Parts: sequence; C-alpha cells; structure tokens
Amino acid sequence: MRYDSITEAIGNTPLVRIDPAVHGLRNIDLYAKLEMLNPFGSVKDRPAWHMARPHLEGAGAGEGTVVELSSGNTAKALALLAGMHGLRFKSVTNRMRVPEIKELLLLLGAEIEELPGRSECLDPTDTDDPLTHFHQALSEPGSTYLHTDQYFNPRNVEAHAAGTGPEIVKDLDGRAPDWFVACVGTAGSSTGVARVLREHDPDVRVLGLVAHKSDFIPGIRTIDEVHQVGLFDPATYDTIESVTSGEALDGMLTLVRRCGILSGPTGGAAYQGAVRHLRDADSALDGSGRRETAVFIVCDRAESYLSYVRARRPELLGRAVRGHTLASLTEDDVRAEALSVGVEAARRRIAEGDPGPLVVDLRSPHAYAALHIEGSVNIVDELFEELVRGGLPFGKRTPVLLACPVGEKSLRYAALLTRMGHPEVRSLAGGIVAWRDAGAPLVRE
Amino acid sequence: MDVPLYLRPRVDPPLASLLGAAPFLHSLVDALGSPLNVLLPETIAENAERFRAVYRRHHLTGRVYFAHKANRSSALLRRLAAEDPAHVGVDVASPAELRHALGCGFTGDRIMATGPKDPEFLWLAARVGATVNLDSLRELDQLAELVRTYGLGRADVLVRLSGFESVDGHGGAGTRLLSRRSRFGTPVREVETVLSAVERHADAVTLTGLAYHLDTTGLAEKGRALERCVLLMDECRARGLAPRAIDIGGGFGVGYVADAEEWERWTTALSEAVLGGRPPLTWRGHGYGLRNEGGTVRGSVALYPGHRPHAGPGYLDELLSLPAPVLGRAPGTLLLEHLHDLHIEPGRALADQCGLSLARVLDVRPTGEGPDQYLVRLGMNAGDVSLEEHGVLVDPVLLPRGGPEDGGQGPVGVHLVGNLCLEADLITRRLVFLPALPRAGDLLAFVNTAGYAMDFHAHRAQRQPLARTVAVVGEGDSWRWCMDEDYWPITHPGGKPV
Repeated sequence: MRYDSITEAIGNTPLVRIDPAVHGLRNIDLYAKLEMLNPFGSVKDRPAWHMARPHLEGAGAGEGTVVELSSGNTAKALALLAGMHGLRFKSVTNRMRVPEIKELLLLLGAEIEELPGRSECLDPTDTDDPLTHFHQALSEPGSTYLHTDQYFNPRNVEAHAAGTGPEIVKDLDGRAPDWFVACVGTAGSSTGVARVLREHDPDVRVLGLVAHKSDFIPGIRTIDEVHQVGLFDPATYDTIESVTSGEALDGMLTLVRRCGILSGPTGGAAYQGAVRHLRDADSALDGSGRRETAVFIVCDRAESYLSYVRARRPELLGRAVRGHTLASLTEDDVRAEALSVGVEAARRRIAEGDPGPLVVDLRSPHAYAALHIEGSVNIVDELFEELVRGGLPFGKRTPVLLACPVGEKSLRYAALLTRMGHPEVRSLAGGIVAWRDAGAPLVRE
Repeated sequence: MDVPLYLRPRVDPPLASLLGAAPFLHSLVDALGSPLNVLLPETIAENAERFRAVYRRHHLTGRVYFAHKANRSSALLRRLAAEDPAHVGVDVASPAELRHALGCGFTGDRIMATGPKDPEFLWLAARVGATVNLDSLRELDQLAELVRTYGLGRADVLVRLSGFESVDGHGGAGTRLLSRRSRFGTPVREVETVLSAVERHADAVTLTGLAYHLDTTGLAEKGRALERCVLLMDECRARGLAPRAIDIGGGFGVGYVADAEEWERWTTALSEAVLGGRPPLTWRGHGYGLRNEGGTVRGSVALYPGHRPHAGPGYLDELLSLPAPVLGRAPGTLLLEHLHDLHIEPGRALADQCGLSLARVLDVRPTGEGPDQYLVRLGMNAGDVSLEEHGVLVDPVLLPRGGPEDGGQGPVGVHLVGNLCLEADLITRRLVFLPALPRAGDLLAFVNTAGYAMDFHAHRAQRQPLARTVAVVGEGDSWRWCMDEDYWPITHPGGKPV
C-alpha cells in the first residue's frame, strides 16, 4: 500500500466478525465495521474529507478558516485536513465535554469557541443567541469562512453512501446484512449506509441508537437533539432505541477486553445496543435453520475517553496505593498523633527557637506568592503528598511547622510525618487564616 | 387521551404540610380574597443555613446576601435580619429596597447596593454605611464626590466586572469561552482604569473586593470568572489595595419539577408536537421558542430548566469544587488559600420553597376543541404569578373545597386562563393536567412562587385586585398567620413573644 496523500488512506476499513462466544447470539453473525481504523481515527474522516474536499482543493494557500459545529471527531478530521491545506480550523460547540479531545484539538492547532450556558433568568427579549451570531458571521460579505455544515450537508450522507455502505456489501460477498445498527450523531452514517443497503435488499432492518435523555455519550445525540439535525429522517430507522452511558461502557469493555477491538464508548454503545436488540430476533430464529447477519459501526478509539471512563467507572482505572499516604490515616489516628500549635506559640518558636522551625506552606504557589509567613517555603500539598510517599523530605533534627489555609490538611500531614518517625512536627492551628486574623505579619514577594 | 403529561412540583416540608391544610388555606382566601400569596419566613432562614453549610464545608467566610428583588416581602427580610449579621446580608437594587431593608432591621454594614444607581441611592447607601457594588466608573466618581461634598465616612465599594470572555483573546489556537453580553459592570479589559480611579478616590472609598454576576447556568463560565477575580485580587494587593471579598452574584437555580422523568417526557413531547407528530401541548400550539422548519426543529427552547440535578446550595458546592482553568485548583480552595471572603447573592434559590400563590377557581367550561379539554378561569392573572414570563412550567396543586369529591373522574387537561379581558391572559400556555376536573370554588395552589414568580409583574390593569400577602408559621399541627407587614421574627403572629 503506497499513497501520495494521507487522504487516500480514508475508507476501506475492515469488517470483523465478533466471536459468538462473546455475544451469545446463536443464529446471527455479528460484524463490526472498524471505522476507528481510518487515518484520523474515526468514522468522521469520510464525511469531513468529502465535505471539505471541494473547498480545500480549490482554496489558495493560507486563505480563510474552516468552521464546524463539532465537539469531537469531525473537528479532529477537519483540523488535520485544514492544516494540510494551509488553512485554519475553528470549532464552535457547547458540547466539548471530553478534555482529551479538547486538548487534542488544541494540539492540532484548532481554535475552539465554547457557547455560553443557558440563561438563569429567562429573558424573552434575548436576541443574543450565539448560534445566530455564528451564522451571521458566516454569511457576512467577504467572509473567508468555509462552513462544512455537517448537520445539514448532503455530502455528509453521500460519503457513506459512496464508501461505507458499498464496502459492507462487498465484504459480505455482495449481500446486504439483515440488520444494520448505528448510533445517531449527525445521522450521516446511518442515513447513507441504510440507503445503499436497502437498494440491495429492501428488507434490511435499521436500528438507530440514541443516548438516554439525561445521559451523555460522546458523539451520540439524545432523542430530542436528533430532531434538530437536518439530516435526520425518522423513516430511515425501523426502530430507535436509547442506550445509557453505563451500557456504552459495558459494551466498550467487552470489545476492548474480549474482542481485541480498541473501541471508544460510542462503539461500545453500538455493540451493547445491537446485542440487546438482537436477542429476541435471535430466539425467534431458533429451529428455523436460517442464519442472519448484523453489522454495527465502531466509530472511534478508546484512548481519548480515559477521563470519561474515570468519571463514571473510576475502579477500572484504579491504581494500587503505595508508600505513606494520608488515606492510611483515620480521623482517630489524626487526633491521637498530630500535634498543633497556636499562632502565638508558633510566632515564639519562629523567633526564639534554636533551631527555629522550617515553616512549610502547603498552599498553591499563587496563593503563597500573594501572601505568606516570612521565611516559609512553599510545597504545594499535591507535591508534598508525592514527596512523603518516598520518605521524610527533611532531617529529623529540623523542627517543622506545617501551614495550610485553616489547619486541617496540615494536621493530617503532621500526623503522617509523626507516624513516619519525625519527632518535631507541628501543624499551625487555624492555619494562615488564623495567622492573618491574629494580626501576625504576612509578606508578599 | 395519552398518558397525562404531568409536571408535578417539588414540595418539601413544611410547604407540603401547609398544602395538606386545605381548610386553613380556603379560610385565608375567603377572608383575604383571590389571589393570595402565602409566605413561610422560617424556610428562608433554613435555606440561608443550607448555603452556610456549603461555606463551612469549604472553610470559607463571607456573607450570603438575599437579592431583595426576588420578593418584596417584609416577613422574609425581617426573618433574615434576625440571622447572624456576620453570615447573612441583603442585596438591594433601589432606594426603596434600601429603605425597606433598613426598616426591617438590617444595619447598613449588612447591606449591599447593586444595580444602576442614581445620586439619591448612592448618597443613602454611603450615609448608612452600605457596601456599594459599583456598576461603572461614572458611579464611582459620583459616589466619591457625594462622600466629599456631604462629609460622609469612606464608603466600602466592590468593583463589579464583566466581559470575562475577552480577557484571554488569542490570535491562533486556543479556547474561547463565549458568554452572554451583560450591560452591567466594567469590562475586565478596563479594570486598570477603575483601579486607578479607586486609588485616586482613596480619601472617599475603600475597595473591599471584586464582584461579578453572570446570567448563565454554565459552571465553566462562572468558574473562569471566579478564577480571574482571584488573579485580579492579587493585582489589587500588588498595588497596595487591600480587598478581601469576591462577590460571585447569584444564579444558583431552583428545581421546580419533582420528577426528572416527567420533565424529560414533557420536553421530548414538545419537540414532537412542534414537528406535528402529536397533538399540541400548548395553547394554539405555542412552541416555547422551537419551530418546525421543513421537518427539523430549529430555535432554542425558552424555558427555565424545570428539573435540575444541582440547584441552590448544591450548585454552589459544585462551582466551588470544579478545577479552575489556569491555576488548576478548585475555586473553593483558591478562595481559602488566598484568604478571600466569598459573597453570594442568591435570590430565587434563597426563596426556594418559601411561598405559594393561591387562586380561586371561578369558572370551568369545555374548550369545544377536544372532548376532554376545559378552560378553567381563575381569580388571578398572568401578572400575579409570572410563570410564563420566567419560563417556569409546573402544575398547580388542586385544593378542592370541602375535601375531595366522589372521584372516579380521573386526570383531565385544562387551560388555565386569568381574570383579564385579554386573549393573551393565560396563567400558563401549557395544557395542564390535573388529577380531577376542578369546580368553581376550589383553589389552585401554585407552589414555589416566592422567588421572582409571586408578584414580580403584578399590576393594576383592569382594576383587578392585587394579591395580598400573608406570612404563616407552623405551630404543632396547625398554622398561625398574619399579614406580611405585621410579621416580626421575635413574636408569634398575634404578638405573643416566641
């Protein structure tokens, strides 16, 4: 395989059979269309290139900006395509809820505009709708924006009608599958693929999956949101069902851990939704001697969704605890082992102690820079926790006075250091707040 | 008929037990007329305590200021005046509100003057030692001039800022968080000018902090503004000023609808109705901002988010706990570590569950459109409970006269119309489902109207009676009541010392 441009590597993705031992369907062969193997990592590479190509190939170098309302994969593909052609890319969205995707977009050189939240006090006269501004800006005379308009652009659907759909038919030896399962985002892939499959066999059943209304699955819209998509036509789907983020993660885990398919949560939702729906159809086929086939789309990869997983299933990413940690201390331990000292006594120790205590301020560097106890050193608590895991960070002959905002965190660290064998650790009672309130001096540098 | 699309209200105790006392409520309306507003002053104190609990969890100091404009009641204000002065204050937006707050027992040092201010308002605020939340540079100049001319003590001021989105403008790659434009406050990019003016007026004003109020439910926008204020406070200190407080305004929200599923079902049905996939849910098919363009729903829904997982104190807790974009630490931690006080100004959220609006059913008749649809005319108009004005959708509670009837009738869809001779006078545009068809003489109780929805838009048009307001206090299994203006927190209604 030798190509002149990365765009030639878009499409022709594999169709991989899922082991029946995993999904448990006896009479239905289930296939995954691995759109995650497109060069930019997702099913959106196809429509992004198909929509942008006429503009990009005609555009002069360095002129204008490609814009799209996208929170993820379309933006990623368009940012790369724009960059290849010397253009800039801007994404406008209020759905950028996955930090890795956002950072990846920034890495690709994208500009991101996040739309404001909803108004708390309803203003019926509000004409300050950011989307309206967006569309006004696009249509201004002399504007150099290229709007790919994925939710309304028929070329989004065409990309799949020309590529994804025919590829599935070809890989099934010229037959359409009995079932096609797709998550609905822009409705581009489901509409385009369904059209082609039905041309081969009008009896293909199409299952559209949407996100459960109060839930969030990246790349899938909820049942309300699909009605706002210009490409969405209810007639495309024989059935529309909703899936939860929990099901998406279950499906993703099955694909990742048992099938060797490094799918993201959208692919997981498609798998789980497919198996859930096909179970009844499968039972009905028992004893008929017939076999059916079903195809679902794995639209992107797992790596970008680790924080999504962490927020919902932290135990999947749990790390073993090592060394000395605050977590090993109970409240009783803290009470029994920590020693604290009030502001007046602390001031005396600092002035008269021989040696005087090393004052460690556990607040953030910015707060420390603004105001701190003269002569103190700043080790921010997160760093301090890492430090003490490895052992005592200062000698046992150096007395230590720990200070945090109100003396709560420092008390816990004082208990921990005492347990680790330091003989002379104190926590500043009431913290920097008490110090300030007592009128003791604070300096800034 | 489909399954009735209820949007039943969230009703916590003691409001729930008050609704259980239907004969008592009927006797109040019999005596005082319809419409009638009922307030529970104890509840506003409990709400303030819930906000204080969030402060304690984050070890923060500072005040909870009640945004007076949410409700004009004396009872609510007097009850709050009886709270710890270090913890509870009041935010006033007009000279009359300022006078009212003083008359209800707030001393000047517990009062914050906000909004646009004319010289009389500025003078009185400075005279009584209220903190002036400065809307503009011009206001600062005016205030300083008044302080000098009339030999007043130095006035405490907060500088209100706006336009946070423009501060990290960028040429190339990056993220820009858009915000709705506000006409209040000084744009952050002009902060330098205001601080210079504060220094120039050092003989007349003392800068005690920075403030913002963003009209959004978006936590990220608020978190960004809060962090920006922390950074600016540092600049103030570097200039030798000594501000202590960051005032983050209000907008913490209220959950009106008890059940998330009812809310979701209704809003989904609205989209379907706009597309023509089901019968209208509203008077004449009103779409609440949604419209059908060639089979696709366009526009954005102009409704208050009726069910919300985090509202009021829960929302504040979430805001204080989110990591901030630049410094990385949560806003609660930033405030604490930098030794800043936190001021908040909840209006609606502090008045949550504090009151209800009662209306007598005057007339019931079929609409003539559907077999099961009725018009119910109330002794109240849209101005008395501005549910539509604020986009609040919630069912009223039916309080039959003389207890429930024989039953058997089942849910019924009604349109609630007001007492004005205007086609537009609908209490709500929504088709409301009630458990049974009401009859003339029954009461409908609109729950949770104390924040902005009680008499915010009430008017004397067509000489219909304005609602009177009573304060009620639970006493064992029964209730005592008095007129709002006669309530004092130190005596039971009737004058007996507590």
